[in-house]
Amino acid sequence: MSLFTSTSTSRSDRSAQAKPPSTMSSDSVSTAEFSPELRVTQDVTYFCPFTGALRGTVTVTNYRLFFKSMDRESTFVLDLPLGVLSRVERIGNNLSRDVSYGLVCKDMRNLRFAHKQMEDTLRKSIFEVLMKFAFPVSSGLQIFAFDYGQAFPENGWKVYDALSEYKRQGIPNESWRITKVNDHYELCDTYPSTLAVPVNIPDEELKRVAAFRAKGRIPVLSWIHPESQATVTRCSQPMVGVNGKRSKEDEKYLQAIMDANAQSHKLFIFDARPSVNAAANKMKGGGYESEDAYQNAELVFLDIHNIHVMRESLRKLKEVVYPNIEDSHWLSNLESTHWLEHIKLILAGALRIADKVESGKTSVVVHCSDGWDRTAQLTSLSMLMLDGYYRTIRGFEVLLEKEWLSFGHRFQLRIGHGDKNHTDADRSPVFIQFIDCVWQLTRQFPAAFEFNEYFLVTILDHLYSCLFGTFLCNSEQQRLKEEIPKKTVSLWSYINSQLEDFTNPLYVNYSNHVLFPVVSLRHLELWVGYYIRWNPRMRPQEPIHQRYKELLAKRAELQKRVDELHREVANRSASSASERPGSPTRSITPVQTFV
Amino acid sequence: PATGFPPLPTFFVNRKQQPLNSSLKMCLLMQIIVVNEVNFVRKCISTENNQEGLWGKLICTNFKVSFIPQDPSPKQVFTSTLSHLLLGEHDIPLTCLEQVVTVNDTKGKKKVLGSNQKLKFNPTELILYCKDLRIIRFCFDEAGPESAKKVCLAIAHYSHPADLQLLFGFEYQGRRYHESKGIRVNGSPPRGGLQTPMFDRSSDWDREIKRTNASEWRVCSINQSYFVSSSLPEHIVVPASLTDQDLMNYAVSFTDGRIPMWCWNHANGSALVRMASLTDPLQHRKPEQKIFAAITKSHPQRNEPFRSDLDKSLPSILDIQSAFVKLRQICILDPFEESEERWLSTIENSRWLEYVRAFLKHSAEMVYHLDGKNSSVILQEEEDRDLNCVISSLVQLMLDPHYRSLIGFQSLVQKEWVMAGHRFLDRCNHLKKNDKEESPLFLLFLDCVWQMMNQYPAAFEFTETYLTVLSDSMWIPLFSTFLFSSSKQRRQHLMDFAKHKAIPQGEDQVVYFPPVWEWSQQFSTKDQTLFNNPMYVGKGAACVQNGEVKTFKRTKVPKTPEIYQFLGAVLAHFHLYVFFFYFPP
Repeated sequence: MSLFTSTSTSRSDRSAQAKPPSTMSSDSVSTAEFSPELRVTQDVTYFCPFTGALRGTVTVTNYRLFFKSMDRESTFVLDLPLGVLSRVERIGNNLSRDVSYGLVCKDMRNLRFAHKQMEDTLRKSIFEVLMKFAFPVSSGLQIFAFDYGQAFPENGWKVYDALSEYKRQGIPNESWRITKVNDHYELCDTYPSTLAVPVNIPDEELKRVAAFRAKGRIPVLSWIHPESQATVTRCSQPMVGVNGKRSKEDEKYLQAIMDANAQSHKLFIFDARPSVNAAANKMKGGGYESEDAYQNAELVFLDIHNIHVMRESLRKLKEVVYPNIEDSHWLSNLESTHWLEHIKLILAGALRIADKVESGKTSVVVHCSDGWDRTAQLTSLSMLMLDGYYRTIRGFEVLLEKEWLSFGHRFQLRIGHGDKNHTDADRSPVFIQFIDCVWQLTRQFPAAFEFNEYFLVTILDHLYSCLFGTFLCNSEQQRLKEEIPKKTVSLWSYINSQLEDFTNPLYVNYSNHVLFPVVSLRHLELWVGYYIRWNPRMRPQEPIHQRYKELLAKRAELQKRVDELHREVANRSASSASERPGSPTRSITPVQTFV
Repeated sequence: PATGFPPLPTFFVNRKQQPLNSSLKMCLLMQIIVVNEVNFVRKCISTENNQEGLWGKLICTNFKVSFIPQDPSPKQVFTSTLSHLLLGEHDIPLTCLEQVVTVNDTKGKKKVLGSNQKLKFNPTELILYCKDLRIIRFCFDEAGPESAKKVCLAIAHYSHPADLQLLFGFEYQGRRYHESKGIRVNGSPPRGGLQTPMFDRSSDWDREIKRTNASEWRVCSINQSYFVSSSLPEHIVVPASLTDQDLMNYAVSFTDGRIPMWCWNHANGSALVRMASLTDPLQHRKPEQKIFAAITKSHPQRNEPFRSDLDKSLPSILDIQSAFVKLRQICILDPFEESEERWLSTIENSRWLEYVRAFLKHSAEMVYHLDGKNSSVILQEEEDRDLNCVISSLVQLMLDPHYRSLIGFQSLVQKEWVMAGHRFLDRCNHLKKNDKEESPLFLLFLDCVWQMMNQYPAAFEFTETYLTVLSDSMWIPLFSTFLFSSSKQRRQHLMDFAKHKAIPQGEDQVVYFPPVWEWSQQFSTKDQTLFNNPMYVGKGAACVQNGEVKTFKRTKVPKTPEIYQFLGAVLAHFHLYVFFFYFPP
């Protein structure tokens, strides 16, 4: 499966010998990729920003761009899924003998190619083919995920089932019930069909609450503390408006959320926005809960900026890191992008939520404006801190399926899959920021996560690749309508079929521990393994994957030995149980950096 | 313990209740003298001036400042994973104190205390600035004013020893000798069990020559009894073609007689050599040329050596000290202050990372000459005792996987720092006598190692924890490693001390002063496992056995592109971070 390694390792410019054992040839994903009319090959020059111009052949298929050069002593290969392209531009005028074009990618790089003007006008130019397949939505084609059809031993679409996830959390219980009011997405078309709400609020009232919340996104349960019953609930902003409109039902509803937790007589409402922005939203009919209307509720603004500020920050970051880095002012340049500051504010917000729920035993309501960008970041990160289950590979997949996909983070809108004319104003690196925050957590708690860095990079790569159906569309409703689960493959099918690549060998199952990261800027780092991975200076970074696998094998071997010894002890029916050998997984517990 | 000293109830209350390796600790316990103590002291936990804190007793002994809380601290599962055998959670060795400041809140007075000083006001507060970047505050609101004052003065006095031999380590070792005389076997110091070569005898150098196949080099003992140089070790390695007489003649031309000293051989035959500069460059060109010719002769292809003058290409020890002072200032600020947003640019302005990079980069250039150009490299520095230590050890770490093992690393520090005469005493400013000589060269080196470790997580046998405790050990005066400026000084002090304490002379080592490498003095065997990097790939492969290197990719190292990749990454600024170590707990 060379495709995966080529798109998802931290190397773009792989040399050909690095190919893993594969059942397929290096240039095919599946039979779907390679009917003759779907490919074109041509001699071109690739202007590598690091090593200079390289001559070679480029092949464009309906899935990828594959460039190969034998110019230098080692073969140079560039292999990228067309899904990462956000723009293809022709450079220079049409009259010149050379055709040159630039590819702007969604994954922090720009590429430039040139070739001679073609004499055989009958053959399609590389540019045309590229435009056609890179932007299938604009050319009336379907996204490649629908053609992929690769079979995996696991079916990733089965990873998440809302009912079983709520059941895992102990829902329904005496205070919370599962409602089917949104079964046909009538209450809220961007919410999932299965929702958990307070027991004593009937469905009829939910509808009236929905009328008061932006886009009908009522407060619903994300997570419940197994002991204190304090909850994390999410919603959109209340439609307060300039006149300070109130809703009795909404007030009662929030009271019900508070009452569902006997431990505390207070409710915290975390508004992700800066207070100025929240106030400005009143002009558009939105706003925030006034503490007069919501008794016992305390409102906290978390000062996280909107999608436009984040997009701008990432654009600046790209300028600073790609292609060349000015070494002498590296840190101050990085500072001027404010990227890490944004990461800090998001983590700080999530930390406050987790702390209120865990230490304060208090329920929290989280919202921003629409409740699908910053809210998703905050609820999922705080749940990651609170619940060790989400720190396993499967648990993390469930978390993404639940808090991001089912609750309608608008992936299509924020990423613009296959759309040539997608407006920049809708794009935003909200999900990347979330994954970055997760990475920061894994740095601070190296043994608390079952997955490794490669897992996170792989998720981000396939956020763009359009190979899997997972990140297509904007909501559960849309995905069902497009029959995504039926017609495409889930990213989790691929990942769960080769877990050893994504497993952190240092993982120790501290499922009952809550992670409280240090959110000071001095403990945050730029994720160079993602943002700067195209830089050849990144490449010498020691490939740790092999060592990970060795350690995993060693661990499995030791575990087996322990199991054998356990059996032996049992067989001898030893009189004292105290002689049982300790688990070796404990003995290789690494230093835990609970800072 | 049945001694004349007052009992110190909590000194060895081990939070983790590990079995006490009793003889050592009893021994230490007996040497500790309580100088002064004061009750009802509040140790401030947060930086705010509020009432939060721990109540307890503040004690000044001749070894450390101790604070014994009234209520044993609650069990915290994830705080320090290492428990120190000699120091409790609230202990600070006197050597670790940077500055002792007394404050009187109501009078608005503040005084920095030195030794033998008077204090005209009753302190309400004591602030201890530590060399390991801790800042610890004690409040005396409820304590007796006179005894509080006495303790403050005692702490200030005992943390400024007038003489090296007044450091607790001497007292300790001297007493220990007398206490344990009965159990010593044949009078030989307990050196066994320590696998790290100390390079204080010719056999250690011989083994290193064999290990690196440096057949054109030999051990030379002209500096026996420090006859030629007061700062070189007694045994050094020199080109085989030079006679002892030649070397004696040439030595006078170099600062403190520091003739070029061999450090290491590359598999291709190129050598790494370090030397001091000529005392009089106009007069002494000749001996230098002779020695260079001999170095050329020791090269299998007779390649000309490459000479690098470090004083000209690297920041000076003063630059390094001032960058460190700035860095320290930034790191001890409250992390949640306003300045937080400017964290990255303030770090940049301190220039510390820039210097870290400069040293890594220069080392990489030396590697290029040794490995890529196949020429020997001569590192030259005026005294050959500061910058040369950093560069020579970094070059060897980059080129030789042996030094990336734990024992290998320790032997490297022993060889290029301790025996090569790095002025630990002056650079650490243990006696707080000459601030101008203070410079954190060794810490800079550890930082460079940490940066490489971060980029090559599987290349080093040891961990960040190891580097941190190694650095902390600089401020515990019980180990000989970081107390002296040369092996001659060490020998001299130990002899004087032995004489003074009526310990018979003529033994191999009169008073046994353990090196820091005896980690069992500080940590239990179990805790020492935290020194081992689980990601390390070369375990057991890069060790010396019977003078032969068991090759761990060593044959592959020369001429392979990997080594340059290694270096390329090391240099990129975006790979450099601020070592966590600097952040106070």
